[in-house]
Amino acid sequence: MALSKRELDELKPWIEKTVKRVLGFSEPTVVTAALNCVGKGMDKKKAADHLKPFLDDSTLRFVDKLFEAVEEGRSSRHSKSSSDRSRKRELKEVFGDDSEISKESSGVKKRRIPRFEEVEEEPEVIPGPPSESPGMLTKLQIKQMMEAATRQIEERKKQLSFISPPTPQPKTPSSSQPERLPIGNTIQPSQAATFMNDAIEKARKAAELQARIQAQLALKPGLIGNANMVGLANLHAMGIAPPKVELKDQTKPTPLILDEQGRTVDATGKEIELTHRMPTLKANIRAVKREQFKQQLKEKPSEDMESNTFFDPRVSIAPSQRQRRTFKFHDKGKFEKIAQRLRTKAQLEKLQAEISQAARKTGIHTSTRLALIAPKKELKEGDIPEIEWWDSYIIPNGFDLTEENPKREDYFGITNLVEHPAQLNPPVDNDTPVTLGVYLTKKEQKKLRRQTRREAQKELQEKVRLGLMPPPEPKVRISNLMRVLGTEAVQDPTKVEAHVRAQMAKRQKVRNLSNPAKKFKIEANAGQLYLTGVVVLHKDVNVVVVEGGPKAQKKFKRLMLHRIKWDEQTSNTKGDDDEESDEEAVKKTNKCVLVWEGTAKDRSFGEMKFKQCPTENMAREHFKKHGAEHYWDLALSESVLESTD
Amino acid sequence: KRARQINVSTDDSEVKACLRALGEPITLFGEGPAERRERLRNILSVVGTDALKKTKKDDEKSKKSKEEYQQTWYHEGPNSLKVARLWIANYSLPRAMKRLEEARLHKEIPETTRTSQMQELHKSLRSLNNFCSQIGDDRPISYCHFSPNSKMLATACWSGLCKLWSVPDCNLLHTLRGHNTNVGAIVFHPKSTVSLDQKDVNLASCAADGSVKLWSLDSDEPVADIEGHTVRVARVMWHPSGRFLGTTCYDRSWRLWDLEAQEEILHQEGHSMGVYDIAFHQDGSLAGTGGLDAFGRVWDLRTGRCIMFLEGHLKEIYGINFSPNGYHIATGSGDNTCKVWDLRQRRCVYTIPAHQNLVTGVKFEPIHGNFLLTGAYDNTAKIWTHPGWSPLKTLAGHEGKVMGLDISSDGQLIATCSYDRTFKLWMAE
Repeated sequence: MALSKRELDELKPWIEKTVKRVLGFSEPTVVTAALNCVGKGMDKKKAADHLKPFLDDSTLRFVDKLFEAVEEGRSSRHSKSSSDRSRKRELKEVFGDDSEISKESSGVKKRRIPRFEEVEEEPEVIPGPPSESPGMLTKLQIKQMMEAATRQIEERKKQLSFISPPTPQPKTPSSSQPERLPIGNTIQPSQAATFMNDAIEKARKAAELQARIQAQLALKPGLIGNANMVGLANLHAMGIAPPKVELKDQTKPTPLILDEQGRTVDATGKEIELTHRMPTLKANIRAVKREQFKQQLKEKPSEDMESNTFFDPRVSIAPSQRQRRTFKFHDKGKFEKIAQRLRTKAQLEKLQAEISQAARKTGIHTSTRLALIAPKKELKEGDIPEIEWWDSYIIPNGFDLTEENPKREDYFGITNLVEHPAQLNPPVDNDTPVTLGVYLTKKEQKKLRRQTRREAQKELQEKVRLGLMPPPEPKVRISNLMRVLGTEAVQDPTKVEAHVRAQMAKRQKVRNLSNPAKKFKIEANAGQLYLTGVVVLHKDVNVVVVEGGPKAQKKFKRLMLHRIKWDEQTSNTKGDDDEESDEEAVKKTNKCVLVWEGTAKDRSFGEMKFKQCPTENMAREHFKKHGAEHYWDLALSESVLESTD
Repeated sequence: KRARQINVSTDDSEVKACLRALGEPITLFGEGPAERRERLRNILSVVGTDALKKTKKDDEKSKKSKEEYQQTWYHEGPNSLKVARLWIANYSLPRAMKRLEEARLHKEIPETTRTSQMQELHKSLRSLNNFCSQIGDDRPISYCHFSPNSKMLATACWSGLCKLWSVPDCNLLHTLRGHNTNVGAIVFHPKSTVSLDQKDVNLASCAADGSVKLWSLDSDEPVADIEGHTVRVARVMWHPSGRFLGTTCYDRSWRLWDLEAQEEILHQEGHSMGVYDIAFHQDGSLAGTGGLDAFGRVWDLRTGRCIMFLEGHLKEIYGINFSPNGYHIATGSGDNTCKVWDLRQRRCVYTIPAHQNLVTGVKFEPIHGNFLLTGAYDNTAKIWTHPGWSPLKTLAGHEGKVMGLDISSDGQLIATCSYDRTFKLWMAE
């Protein structure tokens, strides 16, 4: 027994890698063969012989490497004889592959690709060669181990509730090969499946077992030393598997030589491209893929183990030496600059504050406008300038302002150029085509109304049907109350009557005419006509300003001037509205007079409001706030005029 | 449902055009106009009516951008223009000095006397009354103008006749025949009847066919024609010096004619629509024009620059006038308001909600500018105090729109002419 199962396991990924490097593709057969060699403790030569069929030229190099690695592994670990179980598996695999290879017959030079999954599993089914391995250990020991391993396997299988397969697998390695082969051949699909599961299961359990194996190995330190010798002799003696391999190897005599980098080279050391034959059948390709995938699956954990065994990603890698702290000097003038910036900012703010203050004083709110006007001398209303600004532009230096009849030609800016200023479009676009409304005959109108109403009704019904709206309450009147409400009416007649009355009231559209009826009318109408404006109530004159579209204005005007009977009440109003109409009314005679109507660009007021203004100034201020003081001025002065007449 | 709310043209060709614009077949086999219309409606209800509008809007936009592209530019006018400008500069500067001097003197008058004078004036204005009414013609009278000596009134009529009336008797003095269409305006030369010979050009008139005629006082026939206008000339106005004549034309320009050189020295563009009214500054340095584009412009006649842009009216400006104080401008507009602008502050100082209908004319009292007269299509003329702009008196009496108005140079008489074919004289009792 050359190496423990554990060691073999550890070796396996490495071997796989090497094989991959040497051959250019992963090849489980080679790997297992190599493991087998090592496991059996063959020496280099023997191993080389053994592997030759797979690796051809590069066999020697590969074997060298293999043994180096094995030595390394051995020295770094307390090696021990492996547990039978694991080794058996390895061996089985090896030989399974081998047998498969032999079966396949060797048209292929060095690659053996299992075609089917069952085939892949076969190795486990055909554990023929294990009979060789015992030679490496004392038979007794092996038997013991094997038995122990078998028991374990059995137990596990039971646990997994598999139909324990009547396969040769659990059989002790001592069983003869001829016996086994037929069994392997007669394998049934169901069995194959179970074997497959077994294999996976085993792979999983392998890690678990390792600990136990290690312990066992520790008990047999001397084992490894003679393992090779024994293995060698054993192999010769047995001569079963190797001859088999050799037999088929003879068909492909071309030696494979690999250089250090694992490239294929010929005898002279030149690199050669090997032609890789790929299976052309779809099934084969798929099989290859599947195989590769499995390989990767197998590889992964082991690879990780190899490279990341001592790597803990959680531990941050600190540099070996602490970096020295250096001085950080500020550039010269840095703080000066900052200070300067702060100072200028402060200055600017101060300046802006001044400007805004000045602006407030002069009544010019935007500083930009101030900037435009500031350079020029600001004239107060009524001040008479030295010279009008438009004259000052053309006046040349040294011009005598008092000159009676100047005959000069040195004015500034007088040329024969004719200016063509940019032309602005008028604010109100008049060239929009006037569209005539659609006029319908009585009949058409009725039809349209009928249609729209029907549609609206349908929509409503649809909504009710879909449950989006509550169904309309039954329409009740006092007369039909009993019929409609039935029992309810009987139960609580008072309540029901109240309900009915409320419903009736709702239908009636009664407007509450409160005491200041006219005021209400104005407000309500303005609201309904979407007019905006203000009503300023002053002792002598009440100004009504309304803003809105032409139609609304027309209606409101009519309301104010005709519909409301101003003189029937004692108190009174003078209204005034604008934008399209204003009116006023005076106390004694109590009338309403239209003061002005016209168009304005924007509405100056918000929603209709009433404002009580005890003094004229207050009223004017109120208007001025909205930029419409001229309405007030006009209304007031007209009323004053009227009263003086 | 949506389909029914969409209005589709009943014009079959238009329906087809719409369909084509939408990329639909314009007609299907066996499809009549009604079905086609229905189909368009259905398509529009799916696509949305915006689809058609967009294309229209794009057209408009491109049109607009073209217009907006217009920027200020200059071209070289005739040499005579420069000569005239220099002349105007030499003419206007001393006048400006003189005016300012007078203003200063006037300011030195104690405030109490000034206010009392003002009150006096207001009182007299309050008592203004219609003292004479005369049927001027058998067509509406479009314009009236007092002669500088206030002894004559010229009226222009849509019949094409211009008449001179004696004031205050309202006797017909002359009938000036020459125009064939509506006469827009007739104005006296500023020196006419004062120092000008009767044989010289004393009057200028313009008509809707673009003819501008010059008249003397001793002949019924025009002395000269000014040719160059192809469309309606709305107003003519003499420069205070009497050497130049300004005309406003519906071709979006106003012109300045040098009568000594007998040529058009300036063809000024700048309004985006027709120019309606023109007024000259008392000094002769500035001209103000009001256009149908709702903007007014103030031009410096010496440099040719537009020195102030009067923006604020919403509708056409029909009247513009300079105050004799030299820095107030009043404009009357189709939006029923009258705006007062301050040239010195370069802004609108007050908006007078003046009338119930479009304002056809504004005029400052010519001596001190103490009141403002506005006339409108609401059949009234109104008098407003000048600083303060409160109403003083409404001159009601016309049965038709007030189309023209004037104040005599001595400030005593007010004339209004109307669509009702009469002109009226108003005087304080």
